[in-house]
Amino acid sequence: MFVPQAFISMYLPAIYAGLIVGFIGTMAIAINRRELHILILTDIVGLAMIFVVSAVGTDLAEALILPGLVVELAETLAISEILITREMRKIEQDPRANLAKSSSIFPQAFSLDMEIMTTAPNFIALVLIGYGIFLTGFTGGAVAGGGIVLYALSKKARGLPVLMLDGIAGVSGIAWCLWIIGFLLFFVAPQYWLLSLFLAACGLLLKVASKVGLIGLLMREDIDNE
Amino acid sequence: MISVSLFFYFGIFLAIVGSIATAWGPGVSDPVVRTFNTEIASIGVCLVLLCYNHVLALLTLLATTVIITLILFRAIIRLEEMGADV
Repeated sequence: MFVPQAFISMYLPAIYAGLIVGFIGTMAIAINRRELHILILTDIVGLAMIFVVSAVGTDLAEALILPGLVVELAETLAISEILITREMRKIEQDPRANLAKSSSIFPQAFSLDMEIMTTAPNFIALVLIGYGIFLTGFTGGAVAGGGIVLYALSKKARGLPVLMLDGIAGVSGIAWCLWIIGFLLFFVAPQYWLLSLFLAACGLLLKVASKVGLIGLLMREDIDNE
Repeated sequence: MISVSLFFYFGIFLAIVGSIATAWGPGVSDPVVRTFNTEIASIGVCLVLLCYNHVLALLTLLATTVIITLILFRAIIRLEEMGADV
């Protein structure tokens, strides 16, 4: 048996809970009219998806939850950008409205002059990126991307210039190539399974780290406007 | 010995109550309150994943929840500054 006996008795309650949560989320989406609220409620439907997938109870469930979460994250990011851009266009077309220039995730100016603020972020970012590369795969990518975000935010919050990497889209392409080569090698030459596993893991690491770094880039642009 | 099924059913309860609170709870016309209410359901899902031994999925859910909350707050702040109807 692949599924432990304890998980089989948990199957039906988890499925029903997923259905109930999904029903509540979709009903609220159907009732609501405002786009931002619908975007927040999409999160609830995503949680219902996790319930249904996790009821499988094996490693397959774990493998299916990870891409689901990442797709949900990308979807939320894209839709929030679309909402903001559309509202900006509405305001630009209206000659009476005046667009406020400053808008940031940190509403207050950040002025602290301490030695630890200049040295600690570099070290923490370095440790996070190193640990992420050691972990590889999805989790490592998230950890390394967190390090990149921390570095960019801490530099830009103090008004220092950040080293710009223009080729971040090229890294994504290389990551896909590594992943596809690893996947192909897994079927063509199964005796090199370790090599193909590591190719795929490093590809995924680059992919996720560059994506999370992209979120840091977006927030950095916000701070730039100040 | 704490029984696993207790945590499992409490997770399900939290998820359902949290989703009801997000949908029709008090003060949800404010998008910030609605975003915080999704966290309750998210904690419930975390408990269920813990019962299933899905460690990687649990860690990823925590990470993506934090990032999604940041993205939503950024959208809320910018839309409210522009004077949009949120």
